[in-house]
Amino acid sequence: MKGFQWALALVGLVLGIMLAFQFRVTREINKTEPVQRAQRMSAEVSQLKKERDYLQASVSELRATLDQLPAGPRDTELKEELEMARILAGVTELSGPGVEVTLNDSNITLKPGENPNLYVLHDEDVLRVLNEIRAAGAEAISINGQRLLASTEIRCTGPTIVLNKNKRLAPPYVITAIGNPDTLEGSIKMKGGVAETLQFWGIQVGVKKIPQVTVPPYSGGISFDYAKAAG
Amino acid sequence: MKKPIYFSIAAVSLVFGLLIAFQFRTTSSIAGGVPVDRFQELTIEKKQVELDNAHLEQEAADLAAKIEEAKKGRSQASEVLESELSKIRMYAGLTPLSGPGVEVIMENPPDKNGGASFYSIRDEDILKVINDLRGAGAEAMSINGQRILATSEIRLAGNHINVNLVRLSPPYHILAIGNPGTLKSSLEIKGGFVEYLSANGITVAVQQREKIEVPAYNGSLKFDYAKAAQRG
Repeated sequence: MKGFQWALALVGLVLGIMLAFQFRVTREINKTEPVQRAQRMSAEVSQLKKERDYLQASVSELRATLDQLPAGPRDTELKEELEMARILAGVTELSGPGVEVTLNDSNITLKPGENPNLYVLHDEDVLRVLNEIRAAGAEAISINGQRLLASTEIRCTGPTIVLNKNKRLAPPYVITAIGNPDTLEGSIKMKGGVAETLQFWGIQVGVKKIPQVTVPPYSGGISFDYAKAAG
Repeated sequence: MKKPIYFSIAAVSLVFGLLIAFQFRTTSSIAGGVPVDRFQELTIEKKQVELDNAHLEQEAADLAAKIEEAKKGRSQASEVLESELSKIRMYAGLTPLSGPGVEVIMENPPDKNGGASFYSIRDEDILKVINDLRGAGAEAMSINGQRILATSEIRLAGNHINVNLVRLSPPYHILAIGNPGTLKSSLEIKGGFVEYLSANGITVAVQQREKIEVPAYNGSLKFDYAKAAQRG
């Protein structure tokens, strides 16, 4: 009986030391410079993003207020023109009939020696799909909630894509487009079209017609540093 | 007599189990930790969001000032609407813009044998050049006088390329306003797209310009499907 108790005491002692040690290590990891820096930075970024959403909402509100001000006879026309220009500029939330196109990496299991690069989605693929959608008369497009502007780039960075200057998206990519649902669907699913080419590599392309989709406004401020009105 | 021993063994096992689980989590969080490039990414993202916020604040201030002005009377309200309209038209690509930038001229290889050449410029090639320019911060672009809008397609149709439903033929003349150095190097970077095109015999000339003028979109503007979303 006594020997057993000794053994238990020994186990307890070792356990206690391990516990204390573990605790200190964890604390130290959290305190190391890079981790702390990154934590602080990501807190700052999320704070700034909150600010951005707030500013975005207040800008939209101010635009609505401006639209509701008493107007003269010619101003109705002006307001209509403004509405059109805003749709094209991408600064308002829009809704209408359209499609939802879902793109995802290949589900094919690679055989040894095959190049995996062929089976993942590339920025070019996304660009081509977008181009088809545009050619089919899409009036407003967004990917994973990011509105597409005239200046929106699509770039591959590792497994993710970057667009609208550092807005990072990960697959699956959901492209929402407003326009004639049948034309839009046809442009993607057409024989020999972009979906067929991508599906050859096992990349998953899904098109869904939806009677009412919503495309968000561009999240950020638009400003031109180089371009000035000509003339 | 035996029960307390079982209890203490149970307690020890419990603590030990927790310890292992905790250890495991710590190790995996070290593995997935915060490497340097992640930090760099965050820094760039922070800078971009700060820039966005500054632009949004500017926009909000501008709108607030306009609302104040518009409250003064009908004629002021009209003026305010006009100035708002011209600003939005500029964002949308409905006004001609000028500024520094680059001029890119892409041409098919000359036909030596009189037959069809081995490689001619496809829609995707132009699409990629445009995308590279966008990534380098181009603010406004046009191809052969067709302004690139948010809805512009660049699409092969027979021997021609359609942009904004207008048929264009080579040589393709691309104008982009932005930082001329950045735009030029984004295309001419080693192993970049221009190198690939040149290897296929396509002539690509990138020229920096102090002042170029990108025309406005001059086609019709019609939205049959998109409506402003109802707020509420």
